[in-house]
Amino acid sequence: MADPQVVQRVKEVIARVLETDPDSIADDANFVFDLGASSMQSLSLVAAFEEEFGIEMEEDKALEVQSVADAADFIQGYLKK
Amino acid sequence: MSEHRKLKKDEIAALESRGCTAESWDGVTVADPFQPDRIRNVHFSGKVQVGTFKKTVESVGGMKKPAGLYNSAIHNCQLGNDVLVRNVANISNYDLADEVVVEDVSTMAVEGETSFGNGVEIEPWNEGGGREIKIFDKLSAQIAYLIAAYRHRGTMQKKLDKIVSDYVKALRSTRGRLDKGTRVSACGKIVNVAAGPFATIEGARSLKEGTVRGCAEDPAYIGHGVVAEDFIVLSGSRVDGSATISKTFVGQGVRIGKQFSAENSVFFANGEGYHGEACSIFAGPYTVTHHKSTLLIAGMFSFYNAGSGTNQSNHMYKLGPVHQGILERGTKTASFSYLLWPARVGPFSVVMDKHGGNFDASNLPFSYLTVEGGKSVITPAMNLFTVGTRRDSEKWPARDRRKDPEKLDLINFTLLSPYIMQRVLRGMEDLGVLLEKAKKEQVSVLYKGATIKRLMLQTGRKYYELAVKIFLGDVVINAIESAGSDETLGALVNELAGLDELPMKQWVDVAGMLAPLCLVERAIEGIESGVVSNVEALHTKLKSVHDSYEEKEWNWCKALFSRRYPKLSAEEARERLLAILEDWKSSRTKLNNMIVSDATKEFDQSTRLGFGLDGDETVRDKDFEAVRGTAADNKFIKGLKDEIEGLESVVSRLSDRLKKVRVKA
Repeated sequence: MADPQVVQRVKEVIARVLETDPDSIADDANFVFDLGASSMQSLSLVAAFEEEFGIEMEEDKALEVQSVADAADFIQGYLKK
Repeated sequence: MSEHRKLKKDEIAALESRGCTAESWDGVTVADPFQPDRIRNVHFSGKVQVGTFKKTVESVGGMKKPAGLYNSAIHNCQLGNDVLVRNVANISNYDLADEVVVEDVSTMAVEGETSFGNGVEIEPWNEGGGREIKIFDKLSAQIAYLIAAYRHRGTMQKKLDKIVSDYVKALRSTRGRLDKGTRVSACGKIVNVAAGPFATIEGARSLKEGTVRGCAEDPAYIGHGVVAEDFIVLSGSRVDGSATISKTFVGQGVRIGKQFSAENSVFFANGEGYHGEACSIFAGPYTVTHHKSTLLIAGMFSFYNAGSGTNQSNHMYKLGPVHQGILERGTKTASFSYLLWPARVGPFSVVMDKHGGNFDASNLPFSYLTVEGGKSVITPAMNLFTVGTRRDSEKWPARDRRKDPEKLDLINFTLLSPYIMQRVLRGMEDLGVLLEKAKKEQVSVLYKGATIKRLMLQTGRKYYELAVKIFLGDVVINAIESAGSDETLGALVNELAGLDELPMKQWVDVAGMLAPLCLVERAIEGIESGVVSNVEALHTKLKSVHDSYEEKEWNWCKALFSRRYPKLSAEEARERLLAILEDWKSSRTKLNNMIVSDATKEFDQSTRLGFGLDGDETVRDKDFEAVRGTAADNKFIKGLKDEIEGLESVVSRLSDRLKKVRVKA
């Protein structure tokens, strides 16, 4: 489980990129099915996460991440390194 | 053709008893053995030469008909052996080779002197003119490109015009010709049309001033309802389905049909035009438009796929329809996408939405182009890792339907070529400059008439770098594999040592042929100087440019190597090559994984929305799997995963070889 603060920051990034309210984003929300992210927005999300957390993620692995909770876990992994 | 003689009295009587008449029987000559029983109800006028009739001709459905002349009016024709002319109201001034069939045709005639569509001047790419091409039956995509795109080379234009005019002059005649094996049936009026060998013209409504040039290996076909004027159709092509073409060149292996209409356009190898409309386009190889409401106008395309309702404007209601655009190779336009010319889209890009502004995205290959708030938005490099790009690059060579031994268009299918990589490098540079200037609070930056999301600047550069690593690896692997002996491989490593920033020569995409600009310039100089002075020499010269691709690709790769890794010792060069192989492996793995992810989306929940109509989620999934299968079973996805598995063994085998070779100290 990712740190709740990381989860919250992830939601804020998502809200900025997808232009929605962070409070409306559930922890288990799927980027595509629930939040309606397009392929291009998925790419923007990866870039926005990298900027927000000051990390550089593996491109292929990052694009496999499909939900808010998974994104937070994935990012948490980089923050521990 | 055998010797011909005048008819004897008893032969004339026999013909007259079979309902035949003649303006003058003196004008009719025949070959022996003459068989009047194969001629019935024919009116002869002018000079008509008749061959022998021994064979039968097979029609559609397997019906066999005896060769001969029946129910027709024949004027000034030379008829070879075993021809069948039946129910032709008027066939005039034609020479029919052996085994030609003309039946159920209202008129087939040559009027005056003609060059059968050859030499007709058409106006592709810019509807307002200025890029005129004289079409002819040996025109290739590359020759057309030089004529249309290099108007600034006045001397070359004059020489090319002379080459084409000389070629066309030799074709001018007052007599038409149907070459061996040509079949013309159930047609309306055909005037000044040459056809064959082995061409079929079936059910055409009206053909005027044209050539239908096939060959035994790859016949050409004109089908039902076609109306064509001022046209050339080459081997392996089909124009049917009530298509209407005017001032149009149809190259080899092209399909035009389903009510498509085209004017002032050229279509090169393996193009397809159905349902829609083409007006003043330069359709390079593999230009495909299948849907209704799709208008391609005043553009240059190649390896292109048009979505339904795709449209462009070349008219700003000022000086007329003078604007033009370029969609570089591998581009797609999504349904109802619109482009306002002038605009330029970089290679392997995807255009979505309606773009009401003019932009230049040529330095950003593999981009997605969308519209937000009325502005064009470029997402650079995104199409590099979509399944569509990979699938397209595999499908084009597999779908080359040309069987003619003489392939006129020179096509290079390489996805990551120096041509593309120079754009990738320029793109990285452009994005780098923008990145440096961009402030963190900025959402977007302006770029040549469009915008780019700030976050995509760094991401785009990262993906482009992935492409560079794969390109370097591809070329290096090819070079190592081609180096047969250890000595040759050692020499290759030595060649890369001590390099000092070699010049990166500019490459161009000459309508499907990829080459350094300097080589194309050399070919142009050959034309200008008169060394290249006829059509055959022109083809030979361009083919020599095309054939030098691998050598020139290596030179460009070497220059890139020298820029990135200058002045290495031989030992350092070897280490660098080993690193390039490792980078290639990890980059290919990443890219393939990303393509797999993209392909797997085709099997995820959102794509199942249209399935399981009358059931619950279980029914939906079962229905989906019954129709689409599963990602795990998908051949394409499996292929990508297998490829990843194989990368390690390629790298370790080549690395082992590299490590063992002797290099200079």
